[in-house]
Parts: sequence; structure tokens; C-alpha cells
Amino acid sequence: MGLFRRSPASKSECDEIGRLLQRYLDNELDVNRACTVLVHLEDCKRCGLEAASYREIKQSLRRTGRPDEQTASRLRKFAESLTTTDHR
Amino acid sequence: MQEELTYPQEGNGESDAAFSRYVLPELDVLYRVGQSITHNHADTEDLVQDTLIRAYRAIDRFDGRYPRAWLLTTLRNTHINRNRRRRPELLRDPALDMDRLAATKIGDADDPEATVVDPVLDASVKDALEALPPRFQIPIELVDLAGLSYREAADQLGVPVGTIMSRLHRARRRMRTQLEAIGFRELELD
Repeated sequence: MGLFRRSPASKSECDEIGRLLQRYLDNELDVNRACTVLVHLEDCKRCGLEAASYREIKQSLRRTGRPDEQTASRLRKFAESLTTTDHR
Repeated sequence: MQEELTYPQEGNGESDAAFSRYVLPELDVLYRVGQSITHNHADTEDLVQDTLIRAYRAIDRFDGRYPRAWLLTTLRNTHINRNRRRRPELLRDPALDMDRLAATKIGDADDPEATVVDPVLDASVKDALEALPPRFQIPIELVDLAGLSYREAADQLGVPVGTIMSRLHRARRRMRTQLEAIGFRELELD
């Protein structure tokens, strides 16, 4: 914890961060606004936990449906065979 | 079940190069979005293979812009065509859902993110996604599963970027609410 701790975030600040949060999580914000959100999430427990929950959902979605190694290899071979095989 | 798609004629060097350049890097994305559509590994593999054949046949007409969006459109059209041809009794076989849970991975040493995988959370997130109406589900598939930017997703759906943002926001809020309703309070309250 730093010596100069920021005062607790106001509700309007949290509302503003709430409007930016999804774009922040999707890397769709410019650097300045992304920094603003990042600093707020570190300071405000409520918004930080909200962001963490959305992040968990996003990570879970990214895991969803990922092909196993064998499937990925079969698909790659199939795709490559389209360009290398005479199918006539 | 493999569809009766005819194999493409042998391509020329240019179309082969275009296929390798635009399509091969997207196999993982095609599989992930296909999985969210079919909910079944065997069907997904068939769907992706058919999509690859269609993409190969059409690669000469593809202008090179937004390959991922183009491939996802091809995937969706392929899925629609497959279902049209499929016998009704084969649609939505509940037994096929069983391999959804069985297929959940519980950790992957090469992927730090996967070391904390909670299979129950993943299955519940998947259920929450499937419970969404299509207008909310599809933006999630495009942005979170396929990794499209807001602009690419908007172009794919023919809607303004603001609509994508609003639908994503509402979709995620619904999913989060549903997860909390079934006991995932720790997501928010630690």
C-alpha cells in the first residue's frame, strides 16, 4: 500500500468505469482510457471484482470448444490435403 | 456424419497459396465457433471439414479482406445447409450432449490459464451462452470465441459498432446473472 492512498471512488466514477469496462476487457479502448480503467479497478474493490468475474467468463469461453491435439492435427492435415491432392 | 460434398477440383498455385494464407491460421477459430453451434465434437469436425471444402472452392472469389469473418459466414452457411439435408430425427439428439461434459479438459501443462480450469464453471458458462437469444449469443461467439474486433463483428452482422457493444454488454450481464443464480457468487464476492 502506498503512503498516499487515493480517496474512495465516487459512484459517478464507478458508473463511468462501468460504461467502459466491456471495451476495456475486449482491448477496444485507447491507451489513456484503458489506463484510467486499470487504475480504478486497482483502487475500487467492487469494480475490480466485477471486472474479475467478467474476465473469468471470457477465459472460460476461450477454453470452450478448443480442439484437442489430435483433432487439431486431423483438421490441419485435411486442410493441407486440399491444396496438395489431386481430387479429380 | 459426413455430408455429400464433392471435393474441389485441383487448384492452381495462387489459390492454394491464398488458402494457406487465409484459411489455415483460422482452423482453431473455426472449430471453436463450430463447437458452439453443434455442441458435439464429431459434428463439429465434420462441419469444419465441409467448411474448408467450401472455402477452398470459393477462395478465388475471396478478396482477402477480413478472412476470419468470411470463414465464419461460410461456416454458418455450411451449417444451415447441412441441417437442411439432415433427417429430422437426427437433429438435437440429447445423447450427443453427453460428450460436452466428457470433453471438458481439466488442465493443460502448456497453458497456465488452463491450470485453474473449473469444469463445472466451464459447463455452466456454456449453458449460460446457449440460453441467450441469438441476437445476444452471436456477438459473444464472434468476439469471445472467434476473437473478432467490434468493427469486424459489426461488419459480419451488418449492424453498427454501437449495437455490438450494447449486445455484448447485455449478453455478458445476463450470463453473469445466470451464473450467480446457480451459485457462482464467488465470481463477484470472492
